[in-house]
Amino acid sequence: METFVDIITRYRQAFLSGLRVTVELALIIWCSGVLFGSVIGIFAAKFKKAIGIPARMCSFVLSGIPVLAYLFWAHYPMQAILGTVINPFYTAAVVLSTINIFAVSDLIGSQLLDFPEQYNVAAKVCGLSARTTILKIQLPIILRQVIPALLPLQVIMLQSTLFASLISVEEIFRVAQRVNSVEYKPVHIYTALALLFLLVCLPVNGFAIWLRRRFTRNISET
Amino acid sequence: MLIGRGIRKCFNGREVLHGVDIEVSSGRISVLVGPSGSGKTTLVRALALLDCPTEGRVAFQGHDYSFPLRGRARIRPPWPELTVVFQQHFLWPHLTLRQNIELPLRERPASRHTVDDLIELFRMRDFVDRYPNAASIGERQRAALARAFALEPKCILLDEITSSLDVEQTGSVIRHLLALRQRGVGMLVVTHLLEFARRLLSRDEGDRIFFLDEGRIAAAAGVEFFDSPATERAREFLHSMDYWGASSICDTKHKGGYLP
Repeated sequence: METFVDIITRYRQAFLSGLRVTVELALIIWCSGVLFGSVIGIFAAKFKKAIGIPARMCSFVLSGIPVLAYLFWAHYPMQAILGTVINPFYTAAVVLSTINIFAVSDLIGSQLLDFPEQYNVAAKVCGLSARTTILKIQLPIILRQVIPALLPLQVIMLQSTLFASLISVEEIFRVAQRVNSVEYKPVHIYTALALLFLLVCLPVNGFAIWLRRRFTRNISET
Repeated sequence: MLIGRGIRKCFNGREVLHGVDIEVSSGRISVLVGPSGSGKTTLVRALALLDCPTEGRVAFQGHDYSFPLRGRARIRPPWPELTVVFQQHFLWPHLTLRQNIELPLRERPASRHTVDDLIELFRMRDFVDRYPNAASIGERQRAALARAFALEPKCILLDEITSSLDVEQTGSVIRHLLALRQRGVGMLVVTHLLEFARRLLSRDEGDRIFFLDEGRIAAAAGVEFFDSPATERAREFLHSMDYWGASSICDTKHKGGYLP
């Protein structure tokens, strides 16, 4: 009896190619989200009216509408408007990165706004410089607060790359669909897909566990 | 010397301090007493320039800060020459107690205190490597005091610092504050423990006590304040505080613990 391992082995080139596209897409989404999201989050906390409120509104709208809708809106009308063919990978990367950027900025911004003022006050009266206060006080405390929420968000973004298949990005889900149309063994094929996703998530989760151990600790006082 | 003149502080249109005048002289201890809600902590924060006064003047070591500030003027407060120890300690939670003391010293290499001296002084050896949330309230309080003393400030504002210390630790703090006075450090001690205040103040050193009531200095006097308060309100306050204070001191006597 054929197992999902046999199917993976037989279509390994296709699966590897799809996996590569998924990982590339995820890396773009993660890096841009964490980098630009942090920057926007910091500015959103600093300039609440000018940046904070619009950023929060964007985050609300982006998280309230299914990813699929954005992908279709951004891909097909954009090609018609520009009169050119856009590689769907770029559309997916831009759309999913934008969603991640605003989700991360919302997270970082709210953590910055909720930062306990007493720790800044203590830093002031102890004569700490602004640089030391940021690097040694604010950043470590904020990291501890943000990491537990940030990592699951990035795993959700990884899973959202599945939607890219609907605008014809040749990522792993699309590969699985194609293989299924030939083999017609959905349980085997989607089990294989799940296994590959777990393989990608494994190092991510390992990194998350390491970060949690390294940075998070219950710091609440009783 | 730290001087506050005509300090007014408003929150949302409500005036909490009504033109307070106060001085904290170098090498002297000033005690600030007053009922709950009288504005003691607000005054401490205003004097420390953490919450700038709505109106008034704060002078410290040749620097003069007048309020309200003009336009977009900004001030450079004289921290940590002027520092504060808070009732709630405000220790950084991700650092051990030792790291809490060490971190400010990294930017002040000239400090005479070594962390080990302070650890010894406050008998912190057994718990200094704990995080604040793993230390008792008294242990956190000692760490907060050690952190401030390590900075060798010229003036230190202490807001209800003995509220979580036992009699022996309070005695240790008193000894250290008296030693700091000898070194010329000015101190403003906010307390509701009259016995603590009595033990700190010295007639010979010219120490002062300020009675703050409803945002106004209702009495400013020397040690004689305890025996002959100037106003009826101060007498009433002292009577009520002494009533409760006396009972707590009696308790400590029974435990064999007059303040050392």
